[in-house]
Amino acid sequence: MNEAFTQWLAAHATAPGLLACGIRASEISCVCHAASEKCPAEKMEKILHQLAVAQPWLFNEPLAPRWSTWTFEHGQIRLVNRPDGLLLGMVAAPDAAAQNLDQLAEEFLALPPAG
Amino acid sequence: MDDDPVFLQLVADLFTPLSQGSWQIHRVGSADAALNFLKEHPVDLIVVDINMSVLDGVQFLRILHRLYPDLKKVTLTGFATEEKRNECLANGAELFIEKPRAADGHRSIFVMLDELLNWAPKDGFQGMLRKVGLADVIQMECLGRNSSVLEISNRQMRGRIYIQDGNIVHAAVGGVVGEKAFQKILCITGGSFQLLPFESPAQRTVEGPWEFLLMEAARVRDEAASLPSAETETPAEEPEPIAGPAVRVAETLICSGRGETLHNHQCADPGARVAFLKDVSQQAERLLQTLPLGKFDRLEIHLADGRAIVQTRADRMVFVRVTPELAAA
Repeated sequence: MNEAFTQWLAAHATAPGLLACGIRASEISCVCHAASEKCPAEKMEKILHQLAVAQPWLFNEPLAPRWSTWTFEHGQIRLVNRPDGLLLGMVAAPDAAAQNLDQLAEEFLALPPAG
Repeated sequence: MDDDPVFLQLVADLFTPLSQGSWQIHRVGSADAALNFLKEHPVDLIVVDINMSVLDGVQFLRILHRLYPDLKKVTLTGFATEEKRNECLANGAELFIEKPRAADGHRSIFVMLDELLNWAPKDGFQGMLRKVGLADVIQMECLGRNSSVLEISNRQMRGRIYIQDGNIVHAAVGGVVGEKAFQKILCITGGSFQLLPFESPAQRTVEGPWEFLLMEAARVRDEAASLPSAETETPAEEPEPIAGPAVRVAETLICSGRGETLHNHQCADPGARVAFLKDVSQQAERLLQTLPLGKFDRLEIHLADGRAIVQTRADRMVFVRVTPELAAA
């Protein structure tokens, strides 16, 4: 995976409210960080793979998402889709500020294409 | 909370067996300890001694009520006066109790506290926004296709939501009307409501399905709750309305838990949407198997030109897609 993405992820892994985050390029290329024991890195990775597999049949036109947020009672999962196929996954506390997650999503989308 | 450890021990020793294990009693000896404890642990009810040596108990009660409006609070004092009682009840206490001087008195207190813990308003005619959420009452009225006026008030504001034949037709709070007023009212976290007989509002300011309105209000409320505390702590006399971009409902589908269409607004392929809703529900279940995050509430999808919201429940599934008003014009 492009070094710029892994560096960006590491720099934001402890953003307020974030329990874990990860970027998935393919089944074998996935980098994850955990900021809380509530969501270990291996679970983050599993979630990313689960959602990556589900997305193509879940979301068809006109529902191609820029990002999607699964909100549960005790947490939320944000998945951000880049046009080049990279996926950013974030597991956040239920009270994590949506603006923070939106900002991270926009930053991720604005990173230069993976080389 | 009491600065007398002997009294705390006595209460724990008496109430634990009386509750037959249904209570978990935590003891703290100071306001600091209480606030620290509450930060980490959910609590159903707190009993506060208002005559502690260092702290003004009523002041602490006021702080507590501001931070935790939904927490049931009981004040306890060895020196009860009518003035103190009124002061405590005005600052968020549900009960004002004088410290007992005999074992029988302790039993009476236990019964009162247990009653308060299990108390929930009946039928919503007059109730506190605690056990029954405001959204539940609105949902109940809309599902029943009722007509009523819901008047909600707390110390900062008084608002009204008009429901006619199960549709939300008007909302007003302060000088704000319409959907913004509805969202603002739904942001109220403590206070009281009254269900009044329906009367026609002077104007109709709210359109759209009530499911969408409730979901949108929940989203706005969640966002407001996640603002830094400095922005939300000081209650304004008349808070600013919560701004939100104007949107147009492009598509709505409501179906039963089994997938039978109950309401369709501009959904070109209801069958495909129902299949999508079922897929979302299954996917949420799979995610929960990986990470137990509690009950699934909703899926929000941010699209290039708008947003879609999905809610799936055992008895009902809802899909709403909105586009920006300007883009739609």
